[in-house]
Parts: sequence; C-alpha cells; structure tokens
Amino acid sequence: MRNSGAVLILTFIAKLISQAAGVSRPGKPRLTSCRSPEKETFTCWWEPGGDGGLPTTYALYYHLENSETVYECPDYRTAGENSCFFNKNDTSLWVNYNITVVATNALGKNISDPVEVDVVYIVQPNTPENVTAVVVRDEQGPFVRVSWEKPRTADTRSGWITLLYQLRVKQEKDKEWEVYDAGMQKYYNVFSLHPDKEYMVQVRCKPDHGFWSEWTQTTYVKMPDYIPRERSLWIMITIFSVFIILILTWTLNVKRNSVKLCLLPPVPGPKIKGFEKQLLKSGKSEEVFNTLVIQGFPPTTDYDELLVEYLEVYDNEEQELVLDGKDLSEDCMKSKSPSDSDSGRGSCDSRTLLLEKCMEGREGSGSGSGSDQHQYSQHGETSWASTESSESQGPEPGSPESADGRSKTWPVVFSSPQPQTHHHYQVGAAKPAYHSVPEILNHSSPHTTPSNYHQLHHQDIPQQEGRFSKPACRHSQSYNQFNLDGVGTPAPGVPPSPSLEYVEVQRVNPENMLLLWPLSDPNRELEGLDCAGEDYSKVKEVTNNILLLQRDTSHQCVDYYSQDLDNQADQCTTQQPPHPCKPAVHQSNSRMPHEGMRVMGNGYVDSTVLMPSY
Amino acid sequence: MSRSLKQVAVLLVALLCLDLHSRVGSAPICAHGPSGCHVPSLADLFDRVIQHSARMHSLSNDLHSEFEQYFLPSKNHIGKIYRKCHTSSILTPNGKENAQKLAREELTEVILKLLMAWRDPLFQLHQSMAHQQDFNSFSSNKALEMGDMAHELRKGVEKVAERMRVLGMLGNSVTGLSVAEAMLPISDSGEAMSNYELLYCFRRDSNKVQNYLKILKCRIVPEHDC
Repeated sequence: MRNSGAVLILTFIAKLISQAAGVSRPGKPRLTSCRSPEKETFTCWWEPGGDGGLPTTYALYYHLENSETVYECPDYRTAGENSCFFNKNDTSLWVNYNITVVATNALGKNISDPVEVDVVYIVQPNTPENVTAVVVRDEQGPFVRVSWEKPRTADTRSGWITLLYQLRVKQEKDKEWEVYDAGMQKYYNVFSLHPDKEYMVQVRCKPDHGFWSEWTQTTYVKMPDYIPRERSLWIMITIFSVFIILILTWTLNVKRNSVKLCLLPPVPGPKIKGFEKQLLKSGKSEEVFNTLVIQGFPPTTDYDELLVEYLEVYDNEEQELVLDGKDLSEDCMKSKSPSDSDSGRGSCDSRTLLLEKCMEGREGSGSGSGSDQHQYSQHGETSWASTESSESQGPEPGSPESADGRSKTWPVVFSSPQPQTHHHYQVGAAKPAYHSVPEILNHSSPHTTPSNYHQLHHQDIPQQEGRFSKPACRHSQSYNQFNLDGVGTPAPGVPPSPSLEYVEVQRVNPENMLLLWPLSDPNRELEGLDCAGEDYSKVKEVTNNILLLQRDTSHQCVDYYSQDLDNQADQCTTQQPPHPCKPAVHQSNSRMPHEGMRVMGNGYVDSTVLMPSY
Repeated sequence: MSRSLKQVAVLLVALLCLDLHSRVGSAPICAHGPSGCHVPSLADLFDRVIQHSARMHSLSNDLHSEFEQYFLPSKNHIGKIYRKCHTSSILTPNGKENAQKLAREELTEVILKLLMAWRDPLFQLHQSMAHQQDFNSFSSNKALEMGDMAHELRKGVEKVAERMRVLGMLGNSVTGLSVAEAMLPISDSGEAMSNYELLYCFRRDSNKVQNYLKILKCRIVPEHDC
C-alpha cells in the first residue's frame, strides 16, 4: 500500500516537474500509409505525434494474423525517415499484417493504433518510364503516337502483376486534361490534335487491384502545321461560293429597278391622240379638252368670205414662206393642237375649208387686201396650198411665172393613184406629188387675172412620204370652184376648153412647170378611197373669189370624185344658180367620208354643207 | 425359375445400359477435328479462364466492401474478429518466388483444390444471404452468381489441365484432380463462419486463384500479355 502510494506520489510529482519543464512522453504516432510497388515488398510510413520535448525513438512492430509472434521492422532506413521497409523475405501475401508503431522517449512511450494490412491490396506501382510522343504523318493527317515502358520494378513478365495504363493530354493553356485508357498496351495513338500547337503528355499505371501510380513527368510534343486537304478544299469552295452569292445578291438589290424593268417590261398604256396627260394631271381641264376640240367648229365664221366669183389658184412660194413665217404661225398654231396627228380624220379636214382666223394675219401675199389665207401648218404634216383670192391685188395670180417669182400652188384635188414611191425632189422643194388637177376653167376675178393655172409649184412639203401615197381628199370638191365656168368670168389667160376635162398632173418639172398626164379614162380610179398623199384638195378658205387650198397629204383619194365633179361641174357651169349644184355636190359629198364643199351655182362655195363626219 | 430368369434379364439389361453408359463418354462435338468447329487453343482457354477468375474476384470484392460498409463500419480493420479461413489448410504459395518454385502440376492442383473447397461454402453463403432480410436482392444475386462462377471456373481449370495433360505439359504426378474433396467451412472452433468471414476468406482465395492462373499461363503460353 505504501509502496504503491509512494510510487503514485512520485510519478505525480515527476509529471508535474516534467510539465513544468515542458517535457513529456511522446505523442501517439500514427501510421499514415503502407504501399507495395510490385507486390513483393512494401513500405509503411508513420508520423510522429510529438516528441514531448525529449528525443524519441520509434519502433514498428508487427505480427501476422493468427500468430502472436511479434516482429520488429527489419529496415528503418531504406524508405527514409519514419518509415519501415519490408523486403521480399519479410513480405507475405494474402496474409494480414498487424502493424503498430511505438514511440519511446525518456519519459515514456506511446503506441499507435494498429493497422491491418494485406499486401495484395496496397499495391501502387511506380510511374511508367521512357514516355515518348512522336508525330506520325498519315494520309488522313498527322497524329501523335505516345509510347512508354512499364515501371522497372513491376514484373509483368511472369504474370505476377498486371498493369493497366492511362495517359492524359492537354495544351499548355487548357484547364482540363483529356484522359485516354490504354489498357495493358504500352503505346497509344492520339488523334484530333490541333495543328501547330504544343501538347503535354503524361502516363500512369495501375495494377488490376490496387492504386494508381503517380503521373510521369510531362512530355512535350508539337503538332506540325498542316491543313487537312479535303476539308480545306471544301472550305475554300464554300467560302468562294458564298462570296459570289453575296455579291450577286447585293448587285441585284442595287439594280432591282432595272431588273424589274427587264423581267416585267411595262405595258404601254393607251394613248389618245390629242390628249395630254400632263394637262390632265395639272388639273386644267380646259386645256385638256381644248386639245380635243376642233377649233373653229362648227364653223362660225363669216360665210361671206366663202363666196367667191372665181377662184384664182396660184402657188406662191413667198406666201408659203410667209405662211411658214412665225408671225402668222402663232395665230394659226393656237387653233391647232401641237400633238395633232391627224388620227381618225378623213381625207379632207373640214378645218381646212373653214376660214381661219390666221388668214387675217396673212399679208398681201399676192392676193391683195383682205385675203385671208390659211396658214395651216400642222407640224409639217400638211402643206397647204394657199390660194389667193382673186380679189387680191397682187400680181397676176394666173401667170405661171409670177411676176414676183411667187409660185402658185395648184390646188390638189386628188393625187395620183400611182404609187408615190418615186418622188422627185425639186430644188428647195419637197417631194412632188402627183396631182390631178381639174382644169380650172373659170377664174372670175375682178382683176381679170387668169385664174387658171396649170402650174404647180412644189412646195416644200415637210411631211411624210406616206401621205403622198394617198390621193387627194374629197376636198377635191373644192375644185369645183375652179371648174365653175358659171362664175362668169372667163379666164382670160386660159383658153376656154370646150369641154371639161380633168387633167392629171404628172409631175412638176424644175421650172415649175406642170406636167400633165394625157387624158385618160375618166372612169378610172373609182376606187381609192383610202389613198392618201399629198393633195391640194383641202380648201382652207375662200375669200374674195380666191380659194385657198390646203395641201393635205393625209386625205383619201377621191379619184372618182373628180369625175363626179366633172359631171357636176357640167351642170354647174351651165347654170347660173348655184343651187342645182348643191345637191349634186352634196351627193358626191355623201359618198365620201368627208363632206366636200358645196359649190354654189355661181361659184360660191358653201362650206356649211361641209360638216365633218366626226 | 421365372424369378431367376427375370432377375437375370434385369441384370443383363442393367449391364448393357451400364456398358453403353461407359462407352458413351462425354465425347466433344468437335471430335472430328477442326473442320467441324473451332477448337480453342490452350492460350485461348487460359484467357477465358483468367477472365472468369477476374470476374469472380471482382464480385467477391464488391460483396466484401458492401459488407464492410453497411455491417461492420470500422477503420483499418480494427475491432474485427476474424477466424481462420477453412482453406488455410491448403498450402498455397504466399509470394512470387514461392509460386514460381511450384511446378505446373502443383500449381494447377492448388487452384483446383481451392476452387473445390469453395463449392459448398458459396452455396451456403448464397442461401444465408437470400434468407436474411438485411441483404437486398442485388447482393444475394451477386452471391449466387459468384457461386456459379466458381463452379464454372473449376470446370474450366479442369479442362485446361486436361488439355495440358494431353499436350504433355503435365506429368502424371497430378493426382489432385480426382482427390479434390469438398471441405466444409468449419472453423477451428467448430462454429460456422459468418457471412462476413466467408466473404473475407473467399475474396482472398479468389485473388489467389487469379494470380496463380496468370502465373501458370505466362509460364505455359508466354506469347502475349506476359
């Protein structure tokens, strides 16, 4: 009792002293791990728990299962500090080891917790060796072939240990590794690596039942700079075609208007002659409808002016020139629409038979005062024959060679039915026309100027050739006037022909001589209603016994008209009163789409009858 | 007379049947050579057997860890009371040198002994696991599969041994084939081993079998994987 009590007290005091001195028995060590690299040897490591301030020694003791024999660690040095290495002789497989570590210092010792170890289950091989990564060039593209060797210590040859390998690859900048399992083989082909990049490769291994080894040192491999041929070609083709498509699309977009025009050409809208769209848009309805209105219709002019005793027809070049002059053009132009294209009009425009105001502006163009001459210009479509009233004081209108050089225009009743293809171009003159001119038998003029002119002066006809193909219009009725022998005044200059004969003008020679056809069948050319051409059948105005004819090339041919007129004229000439002539004339008029002029018996031309069909 | 005649007739018939039985051996289908079917080579046989053993060992490993995880939570095997495995009486090499020192016949014999010793215990294991409600069906199925696999593995190894004997690799000293006896899993104390102990022991023994087979293979057919 005393001894034990004394011992207790002593130990207590010793503890106090040691605690005061800062020393104690060692702390409890702890076995951290035991590993076997090749399943033949193994090593155990422990960590000390604290030395307690005093030098401490460690000892490892073990005993096998089902055996109480305790052995101490055979080798403390091979594996380093705080380790115990069990060599082949001391290693037994499939046997549990009960291992403990004892820490001992001056004050005591401490025993770690025991650990049961079966060597078979603690195998962790060394890292593989000689890792090589080689770039292999293949037709599909280069790849990397990684090869290595087994860890030196592992004996796979005898089948004692079986190792499974694993490698991982990544670029320097990547975060994640790409892991590949290689199985038991010692090489691996890595595909799908990017060209011109450097890669890091590591390998490790593991026994079939055990722990993974550490990763090997990094092996660097650089992929060559290559372009996959097939893919590159297709990439280029794709890019090129996309580029072209973009360009085409952009071009189409820019030129979409013209493309639209090309693909869907605009259909021309209907156009009405004489109708100005702009005028309609501008809102001035008056102007629009004015164009459609025929100026001067219904005729409201003074009919007195139409009454003539005789008609003096001559071609006045000067007049023509004057008429073409600007001073008169304005007035006349007013009445005319600039876009008058003579559509739908008959051979003889009634306008031409009406007294135009513009005639007033006409100077004394050889016809004396008060002679109104129509200046009828339709943009050159028609040239007109101006006939001066016989009342004019001008020079002798009947003389073919006018004194002042003026040339008279023979009123064209109807043009020749012959094709107008051959036109003779005179000097300074337009194409000639074939005119069949009735014989002007009567020319009543107080001035006794011969009114019968077989002279035809070719005027400058700035008109279309096509017009020439048509004979004169029905205004040839106006020629009745010329045939009015009943006017009373004989044409002194012209020998009175015993009978009315229609003379057809063949052509006009350069000397302004009228060449006439020989008399032919008067019954010829009954047809030819629709012949147009240059003709002087339009009577523009009759004033002072001067019949102003208008040269109109768009009139229809009324060849037979002349014959009728012939008959009519016969009647008319023999009779004084003009009335009988009227109906005759009127009948002939009715045959025509246009109505001709009604000829009075006394030579007066009644234009009232002449109503346009439209 | 009639009785004796009948007896004789029965005996004759029995003899004939027996004779027929004895003559009709287990002849392989490919008795007429390679033209009939593909005869696996010894290497192929070894490979199959080794794969089989690997599969068996992984099953045992899984079952053991399940046991440890759910039923015996202890670190570093502390507090675990284990008894000797019933197969500890079988002398097995516990190292590479020892295993390499053994002759092929002995090694083959050891393998067969081990496998034979576990035929009945595995059946018992499965039975006990199936009856106990603690185990899920998955585990009991594993145990059943494990038992079947051990049985087939034994058969396979017997075939390999047969082939080796035919090829002349094995001497006539192999007597363990027919001597392998079933052993009862009775520990020293006479108590039946628990399931956990059985699993523990079988895990170890399956590892042994796999290892020995690999050694045997690399010693006999070292062409590949060695």
